[in-house]
Amino acid sequence: MELPSLSAIGAQAVSGLTTAMLLFLVASGLSLIFGVLRLLNFAHGSFYMLGAYFAWQFNTWLQGSFWLSVLLAAIATGVLGALLERVLFRKFYDRPELMQLLFTYSIVLIVSDVVKYIWGTQQLGVRRPEILSHTFQFGELALPSYNLMIIVISLVIAVGIWLLLQGTRLGKTVRAAAFDREMLSMLGVDVRMLYLLVFSAGCFLAGLAGALVAPMSAIVPGMDADIIISLFIIVVIGGLGSFWGTFLGSIIYGMVFSFGILFIPQFSLFAVALIMAVILIVKPEGLLGRENTR
Amino acid sequence: MDTTFMQLKRIKLLLGLLGILATSIAFAQVPIRVGFPMILSGAGGQFGTPILKGAQMYVDEINATGGVLGRKIELVPRDTKSRPDEAVRVARELVLRENVDFLVGTFTSGEGPAVSVIAKEAKKVFIAVAPKTDRLTAPDAIHPYVFRAAANTTTEGRAAAMIVAKWNIKRLATIAPDFAYGRDATASFVAHIKKLRPDIEIVDQQWPKLNESDYTPFITAQLGKKPEAVFSVICCGNFDSFARQAGAQGFFKSIGNNFIGLGEAGSIEALRALGGEYPLGVYANTYDAFYWKPKDTEVARLHAAFTKRLSTAFKDDTPPSWALQGYISMQFLVEGIKKANSIDSDKVSTALKGLEIVSPQGKITMRAKDQQATRGMLWGKAANRDGYAFPILDPVELIDPTLFMD
Repeated sequence: MELPSLSAIGAQAVSGLTTAMLLFLVASGLSLIFGVLRLLNFAHGSFYMLGAYFAWQFNTWLQGSFWLSVLLAAIATGVLGALLERVLFRKFYDRPELMQLLFTYSIVLIVSDVVKYIWGTQQLGVRRPEILSHTFQFGELALPSYNLMIIVISLVIAVGIWLLLQGTRLGKTVRAAAFDREMLSMLGVDVRMLYLLVFSAGCFLAGLAGALVAPMSAIVPGMDADIIISLFIIVVIGGLGSFWGTFLGSIIYGMVFSFGILFIPQFSLFAVALIMAVILIVKPEGLLGRENTR
Repeated sequence: MDTTFMQLKRIKLLLGLLGILATSIAFAQVPIRVGFPMILSGAGGQFGTPILKGAQMYVDEINATGGVLGRKIELVPRDTKSRPDEAVRVARELVLRENVDFLVGTFTSGEGPAVSVIAKEAKKVFIAVAPKTDRLTAPDAIHPYVFRAAANTTTEGRAAAMIVAKWNIKRLATIAPDFAYGRDATASFVAHIKKLRPDIEIVDQQWPKLNESDYTPFITAQLGKKPEAVFSVICCGNFDSFARQAGAQGFFKSIGNNFIGLGEAGSIEALRALGGEYPLGVYANTYDAFYWKPKDTEVARLHAAFTKRLSTAFKDDTPPSWALQGYISMQFLVEGIKKANSIDSDKVSTALKGLEIVSPQGKITMRAKDQQATRGMLWGKAANRDGYAFPILDPVELIDPTLFMD
């Protein structure tokens, strides 16, 4: 077998990182919601899909004002998440995981039908903005500026969330809620409000990722189901509820998948699934997960 | 008023009522029910929906002329959700609970062979609308009830090889979804190109899964092998995401647009969805195109008339390409019933073997030896042309599949 050149490896690393960072944006929300709310949200991929559709809708209304569309799409997803939390999700926080899974799965089905009803089954596309359409050329290595932008935005958001969780009072309250919410409510913290905020923030991130992916991918019903499997693999590898675990899981997923394709194309998915299986056996709480999460 | 006149009027009224009753009895004849398992949701739904509509269009036209054997046709559609297991479930339900007389439908090469098994069990004629895998009618899988109105992987792969053989390239790569259709089409293409151009080397083969959402790693990996041309079977609603991601990586540019996209990468649906992002200069295929101008005057007349009816049915001046597949499949079934003068599946099966229809694209024969229609495809080069809001295939030609049929 001829060995790939250095530029090919560089290109592969960037594409793996793009995959990883987009997945991280969505998975971090899933992980945060589980860590704080103890809700296993199977419908998280649906918010990602909604983000993409909202981005298309705003982009159509605003006639191609891309950045504003992305921002509005993420906000709209966050607001919708907040509404659904108030009306529906809230009722399932203390239920057994199986109930949560069944309930959130029914949300998946409902959202996918609603999406089909509103936007149809025709696939939609958003054009990437002109300034991000070109490719950086370093010798033989071609790096699309859009992918680099996604990596940068996601890294900024990752660091931002981490600073928020570590450095602010709100962040401390959120982390405290993950440990002991009864104690927190006894201390006079409005836990209901906190939950609403966390759920909505998770949806915002999913919506943002969906909006950002819109120009790279086709917007179709079924985006939700495609991503949810990857998300669960990531949180299992990294540790459900752990912020940096989710980050690590995303990087591992993106890189293994990407380099798997380069070296052993037939086994790229297999490799990712194998890692998940091994971790489930050896360290069921995930690489950076806390033991005994309840 | 005169009483006799009143009586006359009453008799007239009675006669009128009787007339209405008589016609309604005639109309109450049980319709011929045709089960239609089809992808109506997910990424493939954008193709399944126009297929169903095209089939319904033919049914409406036939019913308007009184139906067939004095009976109307009724379609009973079911969503297969792009899953072979769901296709089997709905096909079984259609046969057992809905008592359909025939099955017409299925989209992917996963669904087709699965439903064929049900048709064999139930002894009902099944016309596959879109699955192309050679497996469907392979010698060990064929049975009297399965027919295919679609093209197949042999003819499609070989037609692509004929085009690529003319290119001045040596290093060739392939990318195809990892399921029956992608595997079969690639195999048929590779075998044929090796025969036509023994000097060409296959430098890379990628197999992303069907409905993969992230093609970037596959694209960068393939570019790393430095191909001069790429053969693609990215299909089933996935070509959009693939082309967008490949375009961003400078994929088409770096292979000098020496790219051939099978799996209807040149359908109106794909061209429209990608719009300005469609890679110009690449080769792609499609079943139909509203802008196609056949050389044969009779075919040109038929096709123009069909396109006009299609535009009306879809309320769209640029109607989808997939509708014709539904239309032709129903045309085969109905003309088969007519020829058999019966709705008995055994008789219709015999009638279908060797049946020739005059479709909106000209004559198509259902070959007796392999129950495969001589269905060709349109192939062409993507280009921007005045008067169209999105790129079209131009020049575009219908390649005769009988050139490649064994």
